[in-house]
Amino acid sequence: MKTFTIGGIHPPENKLTEDKAIEVMPVPAELCISLNQHLGKPAKPLVKMGAEVKKGQLIGAADGFISANVHASTSGKVKAVKPAPHPGGQYAMSIFITPDGNDEWLEGCNTAPIDWKALSKEEIISRIKDAGIVGMGGAGFPTNVKLSPPPGKNIDHIILNGAECEPFLTADHRLMLESSEEVIAGLEIISSLFDGKAKASIGIESNKPDAIDALRKLGQAKGIDVVPLKTKYPQGAEKQLINAVTGRTIEPGELPFDKGCLVQNIGTAVAIYEAVCKNKPLIERVVTVSGMEITERKNILARVGTTFNDIVSYCGNMTAQANQVISGGPMMGKAVFSFDAPVTKTTSGLLFINNKGLEKSKERTCIRCGKCVDVCPQGLGPWLLANVAQLRDFDEIQLLGLANCTECGSCTFVCPSKRELVHWIKYAKALVNNRQKRKTA
Amino acid sequence: MISEAFIPAVTSLGAVALTLGVIIHFVSQKFHVEEDPMVTIINGILPGVNCGACGYPSCNQFAEVLVETKDSSMSCPVGGADLATKLGDTLGIAMAEPKPQIAVLLCQGSNGVARQTAEYLGIQDCWAATQAYVGPKVCKYSCVGLGSCIAYCDFGAMKLENGLVVIDKDLCTGCEACISACPTGVLTMQPKKTERYFIACNSHDKGAAAKKACDAACIACQKCVKVCPEEAIKIDNFLAVIDQEKCNACGKCIEVCPTKVNCIRLEHDLKAVKQKQAS
Repeated sequence: MKTFTIGGIHPPENKLTEDKAIEVMPVPAELCISLNQHLGKPAKPLVKMGAEVKKGQLIGAADGFISANVHASTSGKVKAVKPAPHPGGQYAMSIFITPDGNDEWLEGCNTAPIDWKALSKEEIISRIKDAGIVGMGGAGFPTNVKLSPPPGKNIDHIILNGAECEPFLTADHRLMLESSEEVIAGLEIISSLFDGKAKASIGIESNKPDAIDALRKLGQAKGIDVVPLKTKYPQGAEKQLINAVTGRTIEPGELPFDKGCLVQNIGTAVAIYEAVCKNKPLIERVVTVSGMEITERKNILARVGTTFNDIVSYCGNMTAQANQVISGGPMMGKAVFSFDAPVTKTTSGLLFINNKGLEKSKERTCIRCGKCVDVCPQGLGPWLLANVAQLRDFDEIQLLGLANCTECGSCTFVCPSKRELVHWIKYAKALVNNRQKRKTA
Repeated sequence: MISEAFIPAVTSLGAVALTLGVIIHFVSQKFHVEEDPMVTIINGILPGVNCGACGYPSCNQFAEVLVETKDSSMSCPVGGADLATKLGDTLGIAMAEPKPQIAVLLCQGSNGVARQTAEYLGIQDCWAATQAYVGPKVCKYSCVGLGSCIAYCDFGAMKLENGLVVIDKDLCTGCEACISACPTGVLTMQPKKTERYFIACNSHDKGAAAKKACDAACIACQKCVKVCPEEAIKIDNFLAVIDQEKCNACGKCIEVCPTKVNCIRLEHDLKAVKQKQAS
């Protein structure tokens, strides 16, 4: 079975919700739709307090090339436009909507599926752009930009990312089982943008045999290759997935299209299908609600803008032992600092855990065991990066390959001295950025 | 005989040393660098901490440039007025009066005054904390309170007290090293004055949001703007700012400030007060 060549770890899988069918979560009493749900510049608000909006109406317009549209996820009245907590750990300008209960679509949205083959490439791209689709795996890179590589770059391999290597998360897994046809259709739409010449694959980790079977059955007739991958973290990272499926290595500084590859997430493929065929903007996503400290573990289809508070009460509240809530997966997700933060287009999970090791300054000195070097999928020396970051030598740390770190968290996971290696690296990145900003200013 | 073994060694090494010596002599004459003795003298007068406050990477560079250009507007903020007269006397020029400045923390959100968000247990550093989330305090403009700036202070003028950085006014030389070390930009430089009024708040949030986040937040109520006889106070993006040039320290603004813990603060420069009393 295929897998990536350098590093990797095997954290406990804890896929507690893999058998739970996706539940549609009812519209909560208030929605908080963030204008910063993607990489790049936040969207510009188009509505003011008191405005009536319909479900699917454009309420935030993409501001610049790398930015994405934001749509109302139900019909109702705009209560306020103000900064609100964001699952990314910051405050972001958000549009608060009080639903009117009718959940009424804007005319022309969510129509009966049309045949996408009748559309030209430009029409497909513009539909994806208008629907505000971004990479739903976590980074939130605007999909229309990713689907239009610069001229001269020849894409010959399209990969759908069904690895879902993060422990606990089962959102993509359920989507592959319950919306297999949409996944395949989404992939077909993507390949049509490259004239169908590129090879289409779906990479799925072997801990999801039912998903592999389901997609293989549908994909065989259409020439889509389903590649089972050995379960190993971080298989779902873009560079590692390309390496696992095609054997190609993305060198530092290169982007996937430099090696003729294009990777899209499972959720993104479904969103692309819905946007292109049904003219349905991206207003909801599957969120895995899991962890040991929540009463009902579920996969829910939540509206973008549903606050974590609403999810907690929908899933029967936390237990008393919960001391950490994570948005995303346990490896790369961020600890939630406010339950008023909403679900965004990139929120793949919400985990409630009891972190027993949670205490101040538990870091001990490096014992030079070399485990972090063994597991680093980018071939870096995390212990050295962290040491140099602590010494604040920001010239040296850039030479050591600071920019190549994808912050996957494997090193922090294996460190027997409990060093916060990834956090030190993030710290160094922040200070390097700050220094460059000051130099140019 | 032992001396026989010595002779070839001593003569050959001696010859090599002599040749190299001659070469070095000619090279040193050919590439001789004329160094102004004044630079060494000036360098001796300067504080020698290489803090970079003057805009040059080291005291030596400052001395070199000063001796070469004799630019009377150059100043060393650390040395202040005393050093300026010394430099002027040595060089025989009239140095401009330096404008002493001091680092000021625009925040009073100490523990208990500012609302807290989720508890932070990661790396105890302001930059690391703000990478993880908004920080331990609800107000994103506030002093994070983990003291990243302290390590950057060459003069030991900063310490952490009750979740806020405290600056020792006598030790601070105004070198600006701490300014770039702060992730929220809550540290700023202000001119050193005998009596200095300033708004000790950095929050650009609207009044209601600012008040919710902190008891000592400027809520941009305009009361101080209206009462100021010198028109020195302006509201800039929901935050009052006192123009230090115009302010004559009458203290009327403090009386009208409605925030629970006054967001306007009065600070005395003790050294200057003593000097005033003495004279």
